[in-house]
Amino acid sequence: MSLHLSHIRNWFLQSPPAEWALHRIRELLIGALRQGPIPQHVAFVMDGNRRFAKTHHIETVEGHNLGFEALAKVLEVCYKSGVKVVTIYAFSIENFNRSKYEVDALMEMARVKLVQLAQHGDLLDRYGACVRVLGQRDLVKPDVLEAIDRAVAMTSHNTKAVLNVCFPYTSRNEITTAIRDTVVSYNKPTRPTLKRPFSETHITRNIRAAQLSTVVEESPSPEPQDVSRTQSPLEESDKDNEHDSIASSSTLNVSTTSTNPSATHKHRDSLPDPESIDVSILDSHMFTADNPPLDLLVRTSGVERLSDFMLWQCHENTTIVFLSCLWPEFDLWYFLPVLLEWQWNQKKHEEAGRGRQRIKSG
Amino acid sequence: MRSFLKTQLHFLTFTLVHFIFSLYIRFRKAYHSVLDRVCAILYYHHRTPEYIHKDVKQLSRLPAHLSVVLELDDDEHSGAGLSSLVSDLAELAAWTACAGIPLLSVYEPSGVLKNYIPQTHRSISETLASYYGPSHPGKPTLSIRAPHLPSFSPPTTPPGTAESGAEGSSPPHLTILLLSAEDGRSTLVDLTKTLAEMAQRQKLSPADVSAELIDAEISESVMGEPDLLVLFGPRVILKGYPPWQMRLTEIFHVPDNEGVNYQVFIRALFRYAKAQMRFGR
Repeated sequence: MSLHLSHIRNWFLQSPPAEWALHRIRELLIGALRQGPIPQHVAFVMDGNRRFAKTHHIETVEGHNLGFEALAKVLEVCYKSGVKVVTIYAFSIENFNRSKYEVDALMEMARVKLVQLAQHGDLLDRYGACVRVLGQRDLVKPDVLEAIDRAVAMTSHNTKAVLNVCFPYTSRNEITTAIRDTVVSYNKPTRPTLKRPFSETHITRNIRAAQLSTVVEESPSPEPQDVSRTQSPLEESDKDNEHDSIASSSTLNVSTTSTNPSATHKHRDSLPDPESIDVSILDSHMFTADNPPLDLLVRTSGVERLSDFMLWQCHENTTIVFLSCLWPEFDLWYFLPVLLEWQWNQKKHEEAGRGRQRIKSG
Repeated sequence: MRSFLKTQLHFLTFTLVHFIFSLYIRFRKAYHSVLDRVCAILYYHHRTPEYIHKDVKQLSRLPAHLSVVLELDDDEHSGAGLSSLVSDLAELAAWTACAGIPLLSVYEPSGVLKNYIPQTHRSISETLASYYGPSHPGKPTLSIRAPHLPSFSPPTTPPGTAESGAEGSSPPHLTILLLSAEDGRSTLVDLTKTLAEMAQRQKLSPADVSAELIDAEISESVMGEPDLLVLFGPRVILKGYPPWQMRLTEIFHVPDNEGVNYQVFIRALFRYAKAQMRFGR
């Protein structure tokens, strides 16, 4: 019976006048939303495709396909209402533990659908959005990787909006990568050695020569600093020296470097000071480096957990919303209350801030 | 002209929708507060451990590590805010101890509690005594610690029981861990500083930096992953909670709730017992 009813309902909703009216209403609501503050960065955990498939007695892969359709609709709503960056949790590194059949199907979906989305005249092109893939690339098969890169290249000229696809992603992996990259970047000498055509040692030698020439004609002894012109081989040998000295006398911790004080000192001198590392530097090494801060994170299917997603990004002022609907059911009508409540809270927050200022000034 | 009219129409709709929405939110808040009140009547602890035992007994599983977010109410006079914070914490600690959960971590962004560890300990001990009676044999022992600070357990509690809670006859032990904003992202920054320095001294190659290494360091210096995080605010906002440890933590909040109360606590435990881990597979 209920099946019949839903058939009739679907038939009615798909009839041209109803569809037109719905479309108008949707446009009107989105236009209205734009009048208020809009989150600049929204993230989605698209959870519930498999459960949806199970409850509707369709294949898991079909559930994922419906999930993709829901995604396309939600992306349209987001970009239309003015969201700059949308981040989606497409595939977790943990998902590799699923059945091979399902993993392959998901990979195939990513391969086909991403390119399809990026095609000329399709969604991303219409809203000027570029695709970025965040995650551990080396876990992806080369043919999928090639397709992803194609989609990224096809949209790279778009600058109005961004779609971040987290594909083999976990947040801990991201944080680890960021920390490792920071360590690597702090292990590179920053001072551009000998970029300018003048060398300091040469100048000091000239000065000294000018001073000395009046007294005695003395050939300047070969200074150790003079070799800075050929720095890289020297540094290599320094590293080896230091390494050896540490290995041989690891009990003398810091003073071990005294075997070759001037050289190691110089090596560390040209490196940036680790004390200057701060949150913003780690931030700039995250996958979401140049994105605005995450304002809203939505997870469907009633699971109230982050599951290793955007841990670094959502830890402070992000509004996290857990919805009980499954992802394939998610559309404007579920998303609208979330956005309205966000706007409502934003407004209240602003008012409170203004009130506090008034108290302070008064 | 046309676009002007369109903007006007959109603005009108915006105002209308938000008007309806604010009505809806007011009704929802009223409904929730009635619901919460009913819940609070149905489940009340009467400051008796037995009632809490009874509530918890039917649950299939309990978190081994419970975490909560509290906030110092800085609108009030600072003394009043602090004392209500401490009394909230004392009640929470008593419920946790009665439920038989061995570890409670308390995240409070400003970190003010870390300056008053002995006072907090005394206040919680008094609350525990009021629940159990002053000389009840099952009264849990208590220790409070914070990252980078030594564990505080005064001489009345036997030292060294911090890790062991399952010794036959001895009373259960509750460890409270105080966290603040600096145990969150800043810890990861500090770790990065140390790692960068070690790499500069050639004591570590960047390839050695792995999730396992970071996890080991972070769990040792701050804490491991909590099983359940309870928020007592109206929405889910983490306010700078340590990000690394949040990975698989169940997050519980009661929509539109304000303030620490027992019904939120017990509902969180119920929810946790029903939740099934569906991670990955």
